[in-house]
This record gives sequence, structure tokens and C-alpha cells, in this order.
Amino acid sequence: MNYLKALLPSLILVVAIVSLNTQFGTIPPIGKLVDPESGFWANAEIDLPESNELALEGFDGNASVYFDERRVPHIFAENEYDLYFAQGYVVARDRLFQMELQTLDASGRLAEKIGERALSRDKTTRRRGMPYGAEKALETMKQDPKTWEIVNAYADGVNAYLSSLEPKNYPLEYKILDFEPEEWTPIKTAHLLKNMTRTLAGGNNDDRTSNTMEYFGADFIEKFFEAKPELNDPIIPSSKEWDFERIPVEAPDTLFKPASAVELGEYERPEGVGSNNWAVSGSKTKSGYPILANDPHLSLTLPSIWYEVQLHAPGINTYGVTLQGTPGIVIGFNENIAWGVTNVGTDVMDWYEIKFKDETQKEYWHDGKWKPTTMRIEAIKVKDRETVLDTVIYTHHGPVTKVESNINEEQKPVYHALRWIAHEASNDIRAFYGLNRSENYDDYVEALSHYVAPAQNFVFASNEGDIALWVNGKLPNKWEYQGRTVSDGTDPLYDWQGWIPFEHNPHVKNPERGFVSSANQESAAPDYPYYLDDDFAPFERGRRINDKLAAMQDITAKDMQEMQMDSYSYYAETLLPSLLEWMDRDSLSSIDAEIFQLMEEWDYFMDGDEIAPSFFRHWSGNFYRAVFYDEYETTEATLRYPSRDRFVEIIKAEPNFKFIDDIDTDKIETRSDIVTISFHETVAELENYLGEFGDKWKWGYFIDNDIDHLASIPGLGRQNLFSSGSSEAINATRGGFGPSWRMVVELGPEVKGYGLYPGGASGNPGSPNYDFMVDPWRTGQLFELNFMKEEPKEYLYKLELK
Amino acid sequence: MILLILLIITAYLINLVLPWWGIAITGFVLGFQMKPSSGKAFGIGFLALFLLWSGQALYIHLANDGVLSTRIAEMLGAGSPILVILITGIVGGLVSGLAVLSGSLLGQSINKK
Repeated sequence: MNYLKALLPSLILVVAIVSLNTQFGTIPPIGKLVDPESGFWANAEIDLPESNELALEGFDGNASVYFDERRVPHIFAENEYDLYFAQGYVVARDRLFQMELQTLDASGRLAEKIGERALSRDKTTRRRGMPYGAEKALETMKQDPKTWEIVNAYADGVNAYLSSLEPKNYPLEYKILDFEPEEWTPIKTAHLLKNMTRTLAGGNNDDRTSNTMEYFGADFIEKFFEAKPELNDPIIPSSKEWDFERIPVEAPDTLFKPASAVELGEYERPEGVGSNNWAVSGSKTKSGYPILANDPHLSLTLPSIWYEVQLHAPGINTYGVTLQGTPGIVIGFNENIAWGVTNVGTDVMDWYEIKFKDETQKEYWHDGKWKPTTMRIEAIKVKDRETVLDTVIYTHHGPVTKVESNINEEQKPVYHALRWIAHEASNDIRAFYGLNRSENYDDYVEALSHYVAPAQNFVFASNEGDIALWVNGKLPNKWEYQGRTVSDGTDPLYDWQGWIPFEHNPHVKNPERGFVSSANQESAAPDYPYYLDDDFAPFERGRRINDKLAAMQDITAKDMQEMQMDSYSYYAETLLPSLLEWMDRDSLSSIDAEIFQLMEEWDYFMDGDEIAPSFFRHWSGNFYRAVFYDEYETTEATLRYPSRDRFVEIIKAEPNFKFIDDIDTDKIETRSDIVTISFHETVAELENYLGEFGDKWKWGYFIDNDIDHLASIPGLGRQNLFSSGSSEAINATRGGFGPSWRMVVELGPEVKGYGLYPGGASGNPGSPNYDFMVDPWRTGQLFELNFMKEEPKEYLYKLELK
Repeated sequence: MILLILLIITAYLINLVLPWWGIAITGFVLGFQMKPSSGKAFGIGFLALFLLWSGQALYIHLANDGVLSTRIAEMLGAGSPILVILITGIVGGLVSGLAVLSGSLLGQSINKK
């Protein structure tokens, strides 16, 4: 009896220890986590890192890494192996969790580390063939000795850091999510690059366009998706002459009509992943040398997707930003050239409706015969659970996905095969390798020829005075409008019949207007001989950039920085005067009248301190929905919505556009009715969200700009950042999306760079460096980039890798 | 008092080499050896690690200007970094209190035999 009494506390003790050492759902193991020696407290940065000499096992090279005031590493090495080894080492030191999480996500292995809640995401990742594409990329990388060397050097560097790492020094997130970092291998670099393709070229409208055609007819498609707005201003202007004949492709006589299917949500194209870049020639600048600017817009996270670094070794001295897991620099400059990227909206992802012979799915009909499918078994490990096996069927198009359909007669599921650029073998690293070392235009073009996906508008400027822009990537050679609707999986005419030769990719060098630019709008004017897509970004940002650049002279780097913060809204300029005109003013109360006057006086700048932008975006959104939702949302299919810019044009030109009427009422509504109703709705809604009309309505709050943590861990992000900008403005900041890196480079005998990203070099939330650039970013400040020609005498601290 | 000081010193040392639950080992052994009465055992055990862990946490909190503790407070929905420091102390205290109590009771029951 005594013994039992004596043992009871021991039993409770053991239970307590086990409980406090175990993760329950998303609750971290509390005992382990709060331990002041090895728990999260150990991640609190107390002293600045100190200079150190590190003797690394298995490394017989030598590299010096100097960290400047912003803790940007400047790597000096004697050869390429040492250079990329050191890059891998320092990136892992600052961003280990990020690089691992991104590759786990890209390879469909999240559930293995964080449990069942990530299983469905992993399944989707694998069903779209992400690991399959990465494996193919790895094979290509192996065949290129240069790529293979640097990818391995990088991996060795990451692993050298890992082997020095004790659990108490694991990045914070490992402790919260309770898993351990694993060895880095070259395929992870391939996963990471495929992940960028998923982010930037991982959506399409195929089902939605097919459904829309079915419901609203070909005229509607022509009106909204084929005709371009009058203010459209393509990247490669019509002044460019094309001196080649296109490679012909054969198109089918009539367009395939697929079974209506419900679009898969995860393939939607979100607006917001877009970007700006431009270069002005010396004829327009004060210094007489070109200036180049770039700000890629992505989902904003902490830590930032980018990492700033300088790489210096014989044959290379380059500075810029890179993705975690990628050796080299992705956007940047060297002593001779600068380059930057924006996304190209080409259609490189198509669905094919598949006809299987029977339920076994072993054969499918193509080109007049039954062809065998292949099977790929995806084994998805799940933390604390059994491994899940998922069989994915592959046709020659790509992996097959079952798509629900509740609208075809028998409500049978439909099978779609995915043809996607991410499934191509690729060696994109080689393109960056070349860009980092380019001395002139020809080097740049040679480097670009290695690039596959995601297709980018590569802007360029050089010391020699050249400026250029290539719309670049491996682009399928399609017949007009091929693949914008669901394709016939049985007919070879719907296959991607070949590729646009690299030299035929749209490009322009030293145009007469003295500048080149891109903002994700249409790649080239209609005389470009190939079809690329019918869905590019609205004209607004692109046109604004071109308006401004055309008007500017004696340009300085400062002017370009200011232009990156420009928040002018073409959307407001083109729509608001009409809304105000159509408004029934008799219905305005005194507060309404005050708001109305504010709108009349507004200058169309999406300035955080103004109320008008909040009201305009909400009002125009309500107006758009009032026009389309009654028709769109009462159909059973998912439909494709018209883009903003074309909508504005049609609604202004056609007072009797039949979608204006609200089909749910007996009355026939006019524009004036709909505008007035939406106005009052907007006032009521804003009062509801934000309280009474007043300062709380300012756009800076309403924009709802949050920079969340990469894994959405609460507390590790930055919420409610008062900001200016909008998706249609050059400063495309909007609720968690926006300029993820701003860079301006002035070429010349002494190249000068300016830049910043919202975050910090350190990925450690326990360091003040983690988010220190968020506020400068918000207010439009750029830092002068510390581009060193030789090893510096002054620095914050230094690591000597041996 | 001696027990309190011994507990703090040994827990601090063992935590440098063993994972966090090492504090239960030193607590248990000291309880077993010194056999304080049950109420005292838990109380002193709790106080020792509460002081040690919240003290360490407070030092880190101040030296780090609260950068991390503020984030963790938000993550845990704790409202204030001070609460995070207290939670740290309480978790350590509970485990230590239980450990000293377990050791002491076991020691006493063996002695009685």
C-alpha cells in the first residue's frame, strides 16, 4: 500500500514528462519548447554574431564571407566549388527552415514532417507531377558537368552547416513544429525550381473558359477574352519587325467541346503574382548610362522569399538576390550588366479530357488507337500514421486527375490529363550561371537560351549602353487559342506539336523610344506570329510605366526608385468618372454626399492616407459583382470572369449590355440603378467593417497588408502594415502580395545598385534583423547595395571557411 | 534552503548536457537522498525550477529586448511576454516539484522497511 502511494507521484511525473515532450495536433511539445537551454529561448539573439574561423570537415577549400551592416554576406573564394559551397553554407545558416520547408512542399512531403493536416496538399502536389518534373530536371542537371558541379558544391555547403548543428541550435520553427532538419541533396534544388514554376505558371482557365463558352457563347468569349482593351500596351511594341516565318502547326477544323466540369480550385490563377521591370537607355539618363529597375511581386512572407548575397571568385563578381536552394544569383547585376525578371503569362498548362478503355484505366484512346498508360505510385509518409499510397495514372500528356462534374447528364466524373511545362526536363540554373558572368548583350542571350520555365521577361542593361528585353522560356508552338479551353485528349492535333524556337521568342533590343519595360501584360503586339495566350495582366501597370518613362528625361536612380512607389490607378481613371456620372445623386444622404465629393476630388493615387481609394476599390468591386454574379453564380459550372480592364471598356461603351440587369428582379435595371445600389451597399459595408466614416476608412488600413510567416505560424509575421499601393498600380502592394524585392541599378564605370526586400537576411524570428527592412520597404526607402570589387577592410563580422 | 540551492545548481548543470527532462532526474535523486516531507518536497522542488527557468527566461528576454518573447507570446495567445516567462517557470516548477516529491516518497517508503 505504502509503495503504491509512494509510486503514484512518480507515475504522474512520467506522464507529465511524456505529455510535455509530445506534440498534440498543432500544439508544440511545451516542456521541450520552453526549456531555457534548448527550447525557443535558445533562439533569442543576444549578441551580434562574431567573426570566426571554421574548420569544416570534408572541405579542403577556402572562402571568406564578409557580412555588412545589413548582414548581407559577401563571399570571396578562389574557385567555383568553394564559392558555391560557401553560398550553400551561409544560406543554410540564415534560412535553413525556409529552404527545407519549400522543398518539402514542392515534393509533396509535408505530411511526413508536420502530419496528416498536410496530406491533401501533398496529394495535389504529387498528382500534378511536381516530383516527376523534378526527377526529370535532375537528370538534365547531371548531364551538364558545370551545373552538376555547382549544385553539388552548394549541397556540400548546406550539409557542412547541418553537421555542425546541434538540436538546441535548430531554427525556431523546427522546435515549434517538432521535426529535425535532414540532409540536403541536389534534387532539392530541382524541387525548388519546379516550385517557382508552380507559383508563377501553375494555373490555367481551361475548364472555366470551356464552361463560359458553353453558357454564354462564342461572342461573349470574343468580346471579353479575345478583343484587347484600347489602352493595351504590349511588352514588345508593334514597332518591332519580325524577320522570320513562323513554324506552322496544324489546327483541328472544329473546337472540341468537353464535358462540363467543375474547375479545380487550386489551379486558379491568382492576380497578384506579377511584377514590373524596365530599363532606360543612356540617352534618357542624367549619367548617360542605362538604368535598370525590377520589382517582382509575389506572396509576401517572413522570412522573405529572397536572400541578398554577393559572389566573388575568379571569373565572377555578381550581386543580387537568390532563392533559397538555388546556387547563383537570380536577379542582380555584375560589373558590366544588370538583369531582372517579371513573369510571362503564357499558357503552358493544359488539360486534356481522357477517354479510358475501361475502369482499370490501363489504356486510353489517342490518335486512333488504344495506348497503354503508366502508373506512378506515390508513397506519402505521414508523421505518426501509416504511409499513404496514391496511384497516379500517366498518359503521354501527363498525370491524370479526376475532376468532379455535377453538370453532365450522368454526373460521371471526368478525367483530365495535365500537360505542363514543369514536367519538362530543365537546366535553368545554367541560365543564371551565365547571367551572373555575362559581360555584354551576346552573353546575356546565350545564357537565356538555357532557360525553360517559368517563362520570364528578362530585362537587360549593360555598360556598353545596350538595353534589351527577352520574353523568354520554353514556349509551346500552338495554333491560335490552343489550350485555352479543355483539349481533346484523343486527337494528336491538340498535343503540343513542338516549341517556338528560342530565336523566335519575342524580344527587343535598343528600341527607338529609349526604354524597354514589362508588367505581365500581353507579351507582344498582334503582329507577333505565334499564339501565346489570351490571358495576360490588365494593361494598367504596363501602360503607366510606359507613360512615365516616355515623358521622362535626365533620369536618375532616385527617379526610378520613386517610380517604383507610384500608386496611380488607371483602373480609377478609366472607371470612376463614369460611376460618378451614372450615380443617382438624389439618393445621397449628407454623409453620402461627403463621400461622393471626396470621390469627385480624388486624383486616382492609391495613397494609404486617403479614404477615396478604399471607397473606390470596394465600390467598383461591388459594381462588378452586381453586374456578373447574378448570371455567373447561378450556373452550376465554374466560369471565367472578364478581366477588369476589358470590363470597364464594355460597360462604358454598352449601356444595354445585357448582364447589367439583375435577373433576380422583375425590373430591368440600368447602369444607373446598379451603380447607385452598389454605392449604398458600399457605404453600409464599410461602416460595418470599419466603423463610422472617418480616418479608419483610410486605404492604408483597408488594404489589409499582412506579411505572414512562411508556415503561417502566428506571431512570426507582421500584421496590419499601413501601406499605399494597389494591384493595378506600379507599387502593386495589396493584402499580403506585392513587391518582394525592389532593385534599381545604375550602370557605368562604377555600377551602383539600390534595393531591399521586406524582411531581413536572418530567418531567425529571435533576431532583430529578421524583419528590419519591413518598414523601410513600406515607406519606399532603398538601401545602397554594397557591391565590393575586392575584399573589404571594414565589415560587421567575417566567417573564414576552411 | 540547502535543498533549494542544490536543486537549482544541479538542474542548471544537467540541463546543459541532457534534454529538458534531465531536471526530473536531479530532482528525483535529491528528493530521494534528502527526503523532505511531502508538502515541502513539492514546494521546494517547484520553487527551485520556477526560479531557475523564469530567471533564465527573464535574462534572455531582457538581453534580447523582448524580440522573441513578444512573438512567442502572440503565438501562444499569451498576451504578454511576462506571461511566457511565467509559463516557462511554471512548467519547470511542476516537473521539478513532482520529481522531488516522487523521490522523497520513494526514499521514505524504502527507509520505513
